[in-house]
Amino acid sequence: MSETSHALNPEAGFTPASRATSGKPLVSDGMKNALESLGYSLAGLALLLAVWWVGGRIVEASDDLYAFADFAPAQTLERLSEMIRTGEAIQITIPSLIRVASGLFWAIAIGVPVGILVGAITGFRKLTNVPFQFLRMISPLSWMPIAVMAFATWEGAIVFLITVAAIWPVLFSTASGLRRIEPSWFKVARNLGARPWHLLFVIILPAISQDILSGIRLALGVAWIILVPAEYLGVTSGLGYAINDARDTLEYDRLAATVVIIGVIGFSLDSLLQLAIAKLSWLRSS
Amino acid sequence: MAGGAHIQTIGVSHTYKGGGAKVLGQIDLEIRPGEALALIGRSGCGKSTLLHILSGLSVPSVGKVLVDGALITEPSPSRIMMFQAPSLYPWMSVEQNVGLGLRFNGKMKEAGHRIPEVLELVELGDYAKRNVQDLSGGQQQRVALARSLALKPDVLLLDEPLSALDAFTRHALQRDIRRICKDLGITLILVTHDINEAVMMADRALVLKADPGDIDAEIAIPIPGGRLPSMQEFSDVRRQLVAAYEAAAGLTMAEAQGFISDKSLNAPAPVERLAAN
Repeated sequence: MSETSHALNPEAGFTPASRATSGKPLVSDGMKNALESLGYSLAGLALLLAVWWVGGRIVEASDDLYAFADFAPAQTLERLSEMIRTGEAIQITIPSLIRVASGLFWAIAIGVPVGILVGAITGFRKLTNVPFQFLRMISPLSWMPIAVMAFATWEGAIVFLITVAAIWPVLFSTASGLRRIEPSWFKVARNLGARPWHLLFVIILPAISQDILSGIRLALGVAWIILVPAEYLGVTSGLGYAINDARDTLEYDRLAATVVIIGVIGFSLDSLLQLAIAKLSWLRSS
Repeated sequence: MAGGAHIQTIGVSHTYKGGGAKVLGQIDLEIRPGEALALIGRSGCGKSTLLHILSGLSVPSVGKVLVDGALITEPSPSRIMMFQAPSLYPWMSVEQNVGLGLRFNGKMKEAGHRIPEVLELVELGDYAKRNVQDLSGGQQQRVALARSLALKPDVLLLDEPLSALDAFTRHALQRDIRRICKDLGITLILVTHDINEAVMMADRALVLKADPGDIDAEIAIPIPGGRLPSMQEFSDVRRQLVAAYEAAAGLTMAEAQGFISDKSLNAPAPVERLAAN
């Protein structure tokens, strides 16, 4: 009996190569879901804008809060458009992106290898469990005074704070991914003649790539949150500095526009990572 | 192509680390090059442990294993084991899985002709570019077989790799694995609970008893040419094996499996039933 006959049998796990065209709906299920999802996203955005607009109207109507009226959507979006036109938006964003990228780089460079050790070596996992859980619970911003003393530059201190915040999701996701690897994959690889570096680069890293990316996604979220307060430290560039500066100069429309920029960039980076995870995922959904 | 290997175990005994009961008593065994040997027995009789020791994945507590006169201390690509699960790497295509051993052993130059060759051998020539997750269970085991054969092993060790498959696919793979090993001269050692499988694939069967695991009986399976469960020789050997299995296990098959009887022993195999219908 030939197994190849299974190719024609949907029960054998194959998707039929083609379907009968008769009765095919004009809009596929996938397209329908995408449109539905887009509809919800736009509705959510509209709701957010509505709440913001109502808030702006309340602030504007109040004698006590009138000074903050520039937080309203119309003023903010007008200022945002001006910031984009003049290049100010890019100018304040690039230093922040560089800092987040540097912090994430170190978080990955340290978190992935240490996570592999934690996942692979039981003794190391037991040894590091308490110290790591202890350190993880400390707010990264608590390290601020130490970072200022330990690093010669403000840049170094900010990157350190971002790294301290971002390392834990990467480390723990990597370790948990490693512990879930099918043990027989190692046995088969050893039997086929794999050396330790083969196990690392051909088996372990591809097997846990999704876990690492999920960890990086979480780390990015944390890093992006830490960025703004970290940039309150001595630097004179970046989104955090721009917010602080706008507050000091009472330019609330610029402050709100910078908040919008932070939100848009954070959301975009997260979406990009989500896309990368979906693209690199080797697990077939049933 | 491989020429098979001569395997000898001398006083092999095994106790798992951390103490506990002895899993294997004292196994002295000789397997001829190109021979197909079945290890059968109840769960816990140590047959899988013995297979792991023969592959080099486990080291015996006492005794030694010699392959072509050389002492075995670690696994080798010349002795490949197939497990109950195909253990394919799901992020790789069929050809990447099949070529993995070649990659690990620095033989990627051979991959260009070797991978299509073994895929043809297991009747999956058209599936090279597919992701292994798109294949059925039987096809995945065929990929695992191709992966094992790509390294031209001298010994193929099967740890019940067909037990999770449906009857028809299992029968086809039993026939094909035996044919391929005979054609290539590979020494085949299989562990199975299934007496039909042992008769279908092996030249000789060793029946193991438990506590501690030891060889209780040795049954030759001298059936020339193609094998079918409806053949008289097949039934005769199967009867001998059932008796030996029952003696080693200390119970009857009816107690052990609840369905094997003289009637079922004489019933045609699924493939033949299908043909008859």
